[in-house]
Amino acid sequence: MGKHVITMLPGEGTGPEICEAVRRVIDHSGVEIVWEYEDIGLDCLDKYGTLLPEKTIKSIAKNKIAIKGPTTTPVGTGHKSANVTLRKLFDLYANVRPAKLIPVLKRPWDQIDILTFRENTEDSYAAIEHMVSDEVAQCLKVITWPGSVRIAEFAFKWAKANGRKKIQCVHKANIMKMTDGLFLEAFREVAKKYPEIEAGDIIVDNCCMQLVRNPAQFDCLVLPNLYGDILSDLCAGLVGGLGFAPGANIGDNCSIFEAVHGSAPKYAGMKKVNPSAVLLSGVMMLRWIGENAAAEKIEKGMNKVLAEAKTLTYDAGGTASTDEYADAIIRAMDTV
Amino acid sequence: MLTKATTGRAKRPAKPITLVGVDVYIITENGIPQFDDYGAFKIEFVSNRGTKVWPGYVSEDLMLVNWYRCRFMATKTVTDADVDTFLAALSKKWKWSAAQKLWNYGDEAGFSKAY
Repeated sequence: MGKHVITMLPGEGTGPEICEAVRRVIDHSGVEIVWEYEDIGLDCLDKYGTLLPEKTIKSIAKNKIAIKGPTTTPVGTGHKSANVTLRKLFDLYANVRPAKLIPVLKRPWDQIDILTFRENTEDSYAAIEHMVSDEVAQCLKVITWPGSVRIAEFAFKWAKANGRKKIQCVHKANIMKMTDGLFLEAFREVAKKYPEIEAGDIIVDNCCMQLVRNPAQFDCLVLPNLYGDILSDLCAGLVGGLGFAPGANIGDNCSIFEAVHGSAPKYAGMKKVNPSAVLLSGVMMLRWIGENAAAEKIEKGMNKVLAEAKTLTYDAGGTASTDEYADAIIRAMDTV
Repeated sequence: MLTKATTGRAKRPAKPITLVGVDVYIITENGIPQFDDYGAFKIEFVSNRGTKVWPGYVSEDLMLVNWYRCRFMATKTVTDADVDTFLAALSKKWKWSAAQKLWNYGDEAGFSKAY
C-alpha cells in the first residue's frame, strides 16, 4: 500500500511520551506513514486559548485519520472536553472498544472477548443542561431514530465482517420507555436484516452484574452513550485494566483512534506508563486502513513480550520504562 | 443511628436570579434555521443533537435531525413579558416544541454551552 498521512495528537501529561513510543513501534512494522503532529488538550490553552486549535481540526478534516494520546477533561467547571468536541465535530458516532484477555495478566476467567459498540454522539452527552431553579439541575437525554439505527447498523456490519455470532442491545427501556425504548426499537428493526447473527437485549444493571459474574457469555454489546462509557470501562477492568484498553471513534468519513485512559499527569515525564492501550488503538487504526500485516506484526510482538513477562511496565507487574517496553516489542517484532 | 428526625430537606443557598436569554427547540425539515432580528433577543448559536451547527465549522458528515436547539441571548435587560412577546413573534414563522428560560445565578450561567 502507499503512504498514509495520519494526524498524531500526542495530548498532554504522559501522552507525548506514550505516543512517541507508539510511533516508533508502528514505524518499525513496515507501514509507510507520514505523521502530522498537532496540539490538543490543556497545554493548548495558553498558546491558542482553546483545547482544540483550528489548525488541529483542519489537519484531521484533511487526513480523515488520527491517533490520539490522552487529554484531561476539567471536572464540573471549565472547558468542554476535547474528546467529546472531536467526536461531535466529526460525527464519530461509533465508539468501538475490544476487551480481550491479555496472556500475562492473571484473571479469574479463562476467556473474555467482548466488543462494545457505544453510540458516541447523543444521549446525555448532548450537553443540554440547565439549572431550571436554584435547586434543580436538568440534563436532556437525546436519543434519535437515525442515530440509533446507524450505530446498530455499524455494529451488525462489524460483527458480520469479523465473524462475531451474537449482539445484545443494552438499555433501561423498562424505565426510560421513550428514550431507551427508541434505541431498542431501532436495534430490533436493524437486527431483522441480519438473521445470521443472534440478536437479543439486556437491561443495563443486569448486564453489569452478569459481566462481573460470567463475562464469557458476552460477545458484542450495543449501547447508548452513557451506558457505553461505563460498561466499556468495566469490560476493560475485566481483562487487565485501562492500560490495555484501546478504542476507536469512527464516523462515515473520519476516524480517531485513542486509548480509553486519562493523561495521568502525576507520571508525566517519568516514562513509566504502559503505552499498550495507545499501541493497540494504533493496531485497530492499521486494520481500519487495510494494513493488516503491520497490525498483526505489532500484535504478535506485543503478545510475545507479555508472554515472556521479562519486560513489563509497573501496572503489569514489571519495572520496565515506557521506552524499554516499546524497544522489547520492536525486537520481538523481528522474530515473530 | 440515622432516623427521620436527624435527616432534613437540604437547602441550597439562594443566589440572585437574572433572566438573560431563551433556548428554543425548533422543529424544521428545511435545514439549519436562520432568524430575523427579534429586538430584545439575538440568536447566539444553533445546535443539533448538542453539536453547534451555526456559526462556525460544520463537518460535511454531520448527521442532522429535524430538531434544533436555538439559543437567543437578551440584548438588554429583559422580563418574562419580553419572552412572551418574543415567542409570539417566533411562532409566526417557526414550529417549536419547547422553550427554556436561561438564568444566571449570581455571576454563574445556569445553562451549558453547545459543543
